[in-house]
Amino acid sequence: MTTTEVRVLAAGSALPGPPVDNAALADRFRMDASWQQWVDVFIGTRSRHLAVDLASGEVRSSLAELAASAATRALDNAGVAPGEVDVMVLGTATPDRLMPATVNTVADLLGIDGIPTYQLQSGCTGAVAALDIGRQLLLTGEHRTALVLGGDVCAKHFDPDIDLKSLSPAELVNVVLFGDGAGAAVLTTEPVDGAPVLRRVLNRLVGLGRAPGQVVDWYGQARRASDGPALSEDYKAIEELVPVMAVEVLEELLTSLGWQDTDVDYLLPPQLSGTMTARIVKDLGLPAAEEVTCVVEIANIGNAAPFVQLERTLPELAPGDRAVGIAIESSKWIKAGFALERD
Amino acid sequence: MNTIDEFVALLHDEVGLPVSADDVETGLDQVPGWDSVHLLTLMMALERRTGRTIPMPELLEAPSLGHIYRLASA
Repeated sequence: MTTTEVRVLAAGSALPGPPVDNAALADRFRMDASWQQWVDVFIGTRSRHLAVDLASGEVRSSLAELAASAATRALDNAGVAPGEVDVMVLGTATPDRLMPATVNTVADLLGIDGIPTYQLQSGCTGAVAALDIGRQLLLTGEHRTALVLGGDVCAKHFDPDIDLKSLSPAELVNVVLFGDGAGAAVLTTEPVDGAPVLRRVLNRLVGLGRAPGQVVDWYGQARRASDGPALSEDYKAIEELVPVMAVEVLEELLTSLGWQDTDVDYLLPPQLSGTMTARIVKDLGLPAAEEVTCVVEIANIGNAAPFVQLERTLPELAPGDRAVGIAIESSKWIKAGFALERD
Repeated sequence: MNTIDEFVALLHDEVGLPVSADDVETGLDQVPGWDSVHLLTLMMALERRTGRTIPMPELLEAPSLGHIYRLASA
């Protein structure tokens, strides 16, 4: 049996610990008011949740634990039991370990077994890639309920004892840009009343010949570290290219669906930083759309962000409402987006 | 921070900005490669060098690198 429509039943998210505002970061890193003001003006992100306890430096949450909490919320919101899930897909840039894959640890925590599970090594577009794969697997007709997840925990990179004054500009930006978190959504082939249809998912590599905009290294027993930083980004390339790519994704989604820009009721824009997201939203120029943004309060949480945005959007959708989500990954440059419609 | 040459050397060595003394009095938007992250790096480098903090609002209003030099050396 094949089906033609996949719906998003519900979404859920989980964030570690209390919010950490810029003043708390400044205090921990012994930075002054000017540093805080710079973060406020140029990053525009006010707080974030961190898996590392700022005072003790101890890691308090793994990605698997956060993803399992997010999944539990999504499943509860959907009214679906873990045993009803028949395929799982997780996108992350920061798995707890290379093996076992974090998706399988999450399954274990949820009491899920005996189903296919997939993990994507992905950056900011991983949530959309997970939605894409979940949707495609459901469209085969071989599965009915997909649990798709995304999340990131930067604990391996976040050093509360680092001297910020010794960092390069690109590394400095990373300290304030990112937060930790996980999110999940439940997809179904059942024609559930009130659950929006996932009309389109776009997920496309556009990195041919382009230098990576973001690099995260990993190390092993024989090669402990390279000379460079473990995490680095070309913030100038990101500032230049992400807004342009976001507009291209929007145009392609609208054209493929025959929607006008006035048809979009909710916009879930890329969640880079408060200032970058505001700039992108302005460039997207959707006159009737309500923006659903979380980056100002919870920072850039990579693979988790679209699920947090979905969790906030789904309860608001009225019959006939349309929503568009956009994510751009600057690693090797990936354009992604999705379109939802409540019938 | 006593001379403009010292300031230009600091821009080279600690901020990574390849400017010449000629760029110092041009508008910040005309300085090759200048961006907001350089402003932060420069602010931190000046604090290290002079032991004093320049308030961010004053830096934000500075029209040129020369203006920032004068704030730092005042």
